[in-house]
Amino acid sequence: MTSLASHRVRPRGGALTQGLTLAWRSLVPLRNEPGRLVQLLLQPIFMILLFVCLFGAMTGDQTGTAQFLLPGVLVQVALVATNTTGMNLAEDIGNGVFDRFRSLPIARSAPLIGRILADTLTMLLTVTTSLLTGLVAGFRVRTSLAETLAGLALVLLFTFALSWASAWIGLKARSVASMQGMATAVLLPLTFGSTAFIPAANVPGWLRWWMDVNPVSHLAASLRVLLTGGPLGAHLWITLAWAVAIVAVFFPLAVHSYTRRIR
Amino acid sequence: MTYAIEAEGLIKRYGDKTALDGVNLAVRRGEVLAVLGPNGAGKTTAVRILATLVSPDGGSARVGGHDVVARPHQVRELIGLTGQYASVDENLTGTQNLMMIGRLLGMSRADARARAVGLLDRFGLTEAGDRAARTYSGGMRRRLDLAVSMVADPRIVFMDEPTTGLDPRARTELWDIVREQVAGGSTVLLTTQYLEEADQLADRIVVIDHGRVAADGTPDQLKSRAGHRRLEIRPERDLWTAHDILAQVIGVTPHVSCGQAAHRLSKDAAPRPPGGTATAEARAEDATERMADASSGAMPDRSYGPVEDGVLSVPIVDPAMVPEVFRRLADAGITLAEHALRRPSLDEAFLALVSAPSPDLSTPPQLSTGTGGMASAGRQAPSPSSEPPAPRPAVSSRQPQSSGRSMA
Repeated sequence: MTSLASHRVRPRGGALTQGLTLAWRSLVPLRNEPGRLVQLLLQPIFMILLFVCLFGAMTGDQTGTAQFLLPGVLVQVALVATNTTGMNLAEDIGNGVFDRFRSLPIARSAPLIGRILADTLTMLLTVTTSLLTGLVAGFRVRTSLAETLAGLALVLLFTFALSWASAWIGLKARSVASMQGMATAVLLPLTFGSTAFIPAANVPGWLRWWMDVNPVSHLAASLRVLLTGGPLGAHLWITLAWAVAIVAVFFPLAVHSYTRRIR
Repeated sequence: MTYAIEAEGLIKRYGDKTALDGVNLAVRRGEVLAVLGPNGAGKTTAVRILATLVSPDGGSARVGGHDVVARPHQVRELIGLTGQYASVDENLTGTQNLMMIGRLLGMSRADARARAVGLLDRFGLTEAGDRAARTYSGGMRRRLDLAVSMVADPRIVFMDEPTTGLDPRARTELWDIVREQVAGGSTVLLTTQYLEEADQLADRIVVIDHGRVAADGTPDQLKSRAGHRRLEIRPERDLWTAHDILAQVIGVTPHVSCGQAAHRLSKDAAPRPPGGTATAEARAEDATERMADASSGAMPDRSYGPVEDGVLSVPIVDPAMVPEVFRRLADAGITLAEHALRRPSLDEAFLALVSAPSPDLSTPPQLSTGTGGMASAGRQAPSPSSEPPAPRPAVSSRQPQSSGRSMA
């Protein structure tokens, strides 16, 4: 069999090197077509401007609204962006790119690692853009740089956890469209049924119960404190606990679906 | 190691549907095997099992000597996969697609780039190298797909319907590329729905239908199994005199294509050449029509008066009869506008092979690996009692495994 194998390049490096190549593959279209990059950045810019300015105009208190709303909208933008993980996986599976990877002698985990790496990087871009837009719209950071970075890191950590759920749905979904539908059904109650937009004091009891449980409430509250100051309370720990719990549930599920898909 | 690809009794089920029902395949090193079959026959499933993309529910397969289930990684080091389902990344440029694969396979950035440049050149994509694959034409995409599967210079290549959906020119271009690859010594297993493609590219053809091997052989062997050679003549005049002479000499009522039928047959390739390359549909129609003629017992068209132009066609069991036919025609003063002695087309062979209801005793000796019996259309021929009245009893010259559609 040596003669058959002689022309063959033996892959060096492990899952991580291959994952980096595949992350490059996911990110390079942003460079190929600047339109994609603009689209990626416009989403957070519009959302932040829309929410902060519209609600600011409604309440007549631009600064106060921005201070309260920006962390919430930022969290919402970030959560919606976790969609892309599952959507891209569903797309790769649907159009056969995945089968190409599977026919190569590379680590089985490399495509998944590449996907998550790339999506974490674009998430960093999304979150940073959101914050900068907020600053333009009148939001002011009242805390130290370390606290600000900690806040953004918390958002990244939480969305990283959630992207495993997204990956699982994407691997289960039969198409990109059904993936989007499912993800929206999960994300809407999470984002809007939280204290990201509305203080819990103003809502009916049953919704208030959900808002208290909802991890997004705690994430938004943590970020609000880390950016504008105030007592952090238990929000940070509850958020971290949720992130761990989400990973604990969805990482095995995603990997299971993935290995079934790639076997 | 004689066989680069071996599969025994492959079974794959998707729910209630059995995609593969005990398929055997064996491809020698350096050989091109075409797996031919209609849509849904199980061709793609077979390729996906051999390329380690799905596991079989039964049977076993080895590629390059490695079991596809037990040692998939070793198999993946040997193979290239291309086709309708393994695809390129549309958002990357041609160069980027090739570089990505090179990098994944452990090449340095410089090596991967050099390999990409070389492949783009070889596949005629140099000018499109910096454009997103999304903007490529169908033919260019297939070429890029093929190029991507060649990055590692695999010695065993799977091509799943490489030309499906391509226009004839793009198809011919792709054939040339496949031939080049084969000339380099690669073992190729390609699936196709196109008989012509199998005939053009393959050393051997396996016909799959309903998840089973229906036949296996060289293109010539398959053609010979579809029935006898046929003598086709187009007299310049005196069609019916020629008809009677043929009937007398050969002992079989000739099939007449003229008037409406000739027009119908020639719609795709007018004028219909004697060595016919009519489409499968036309052939099927042709065959049905002959059956109808046979069962009704009607002598076609003679009652419509003299027909100036038409093609007469009879099956030839004994080639020695052919000179006799020409001598008798010459004696009668009939000159021929066209004549041909041809083997059944691959289309006819294909139709005969896949339309068999079940395997049975008619399995010919050449059949080596098929689990299903070869389809002989003889079974479908009209029974002797339904033969049209012929000048001489046609039944006497009938061979048991002659094709029904070759009998008038």
